[in-house]
Amino acid sequence: MSTPFSRLREILKASKQYVRDRPPLKWTFRALYWSPLCIAFAHYGYTIKYVCGRSMQPTFNPDSSAGRDLVLFDRVSTKIRHEYRRDDVVAIRSPINPRLELVKRIIALPGDTVKTLPPYPIEEVVVPPGHVWVEGDEPFRSEDSNWFGPVSQGLIDSKLTYILLPWDRFGPLNGVFERTPQRGRNWSEQSAETLRKKKREARVTRNTER
Amino acid sequence: MTWRSAFTRHAGKYTVTAFKLTNFAFAIHFFAEYVAAIEYPSGPSMLPTISAEGELVLDNKLVCRLFPERLQRGDIVTFVSPLDPQRVICKRILGLPGDTICVDPTGEKAPSTEHVIVPAGHFWVGGDNAAWSRDSRDYGPIPMALVKGRLVAKIWPLRSAAVFRNPSTPISYTP
Repeated sequence: MSTPFSRLREILKASKQYVRDRPPLKWTFRALYWSPLCIAFAHYGYTIKYVCGRSMQPTFNPDSSAGRDLVLFDRVSTKIRHEYRRDDVVAIRSPINPRLELVKRIIALPGDTVKTLPPYPIEEVVVPPGHVWVEGDEPFRSEDSNWFGPVSQGLIDSKLTYILLPWDRFGPLNGVFERTPQRGRNWSEQSAETLRKKKREARVTRNTER
Repeated sequence: MTWRSAFTRHAGKYTVTAFKLTNFAFAIHFFAEYVAAIEYPSGPSMLPTISAEGELVLDNKLVCRLFPERLQRGDIVTFVSPLDPQRVICKRILGLPGDTICVDPTGEKAPSTEHVIVPAGHFWVGGDNAAWSRDSRDYGPIPMALVKGRLVAKIWPLRSAAVFRNPSTPISYTP
């Protein structure tokens, strides 16, 4: 007896057997089948990417390092917890070119008053609600909020948490701020970072109502 | 047979089922995020075109992901609110990068003589129901990267189902 449905079932069964007999095909289909879970992990969890460019020197790609930095991007704190703090290094989608992603540091949060740097037309700005003020660590090679003004929090894609490569700078970002610089091999780098942080903080008047 | 032994006997099977269900849910979620989705708009800001509630619209996400520069004046778009990153809002594009825009011709939210040039990579958006809309007059031009999708058609209620046609007719171009 061959109804259209039984014929269809036969074809399905035969094609399943065909795939099962060929391991490369089988594994391709399995990878495709489970891809949504993998995409979800990258989309709402963690990704690894290279950071290029000099705007975040010396935090990333300092002149002493030969190659680009491999960094862990954390999307849990931006896309799920929606948590942004001052001094976080974040990846934002450029407000000028939607295809481009920039890596910058959050300087000020909504309600804070920022003393801006030269390309910006106004001297002092209050960051509007839902926005942040971002800047690169290297002010002369950075296209940041001093160019395009405060950035909407909806453009923040992920937070950068760990440097993975090169090995000699492996470690968490923002780790230095927790303690005073220790006498040791990288004392000068640590104290320079603390100095930069103090300089940044001097330009921001915090919003006390938060 | 105790509950515990029954559980351990079937645990592997149930774990696989749970993973498969999550996988399927994410497949649907990412289709809605990247390709197309049916949405339920609410609020009075687009009133003659989309009613305040009880309607379903089809949202094309693929166009904005792949070719954001294909969006035209007169397209209805959904985008993440620049003031609240957890809200998605729906407005009509009024100005493209480089256009000169009169902020508010009625003079209500800004003096009627104030004009701005939309910066590169930004859109000027406005609600169809200008009196009840918070749009670019309040928060300025929005970055293209915030735009999530373009509304294609109204699909519910069936009586008023329609494709959203671009209503803008250019009067003159300044190249």
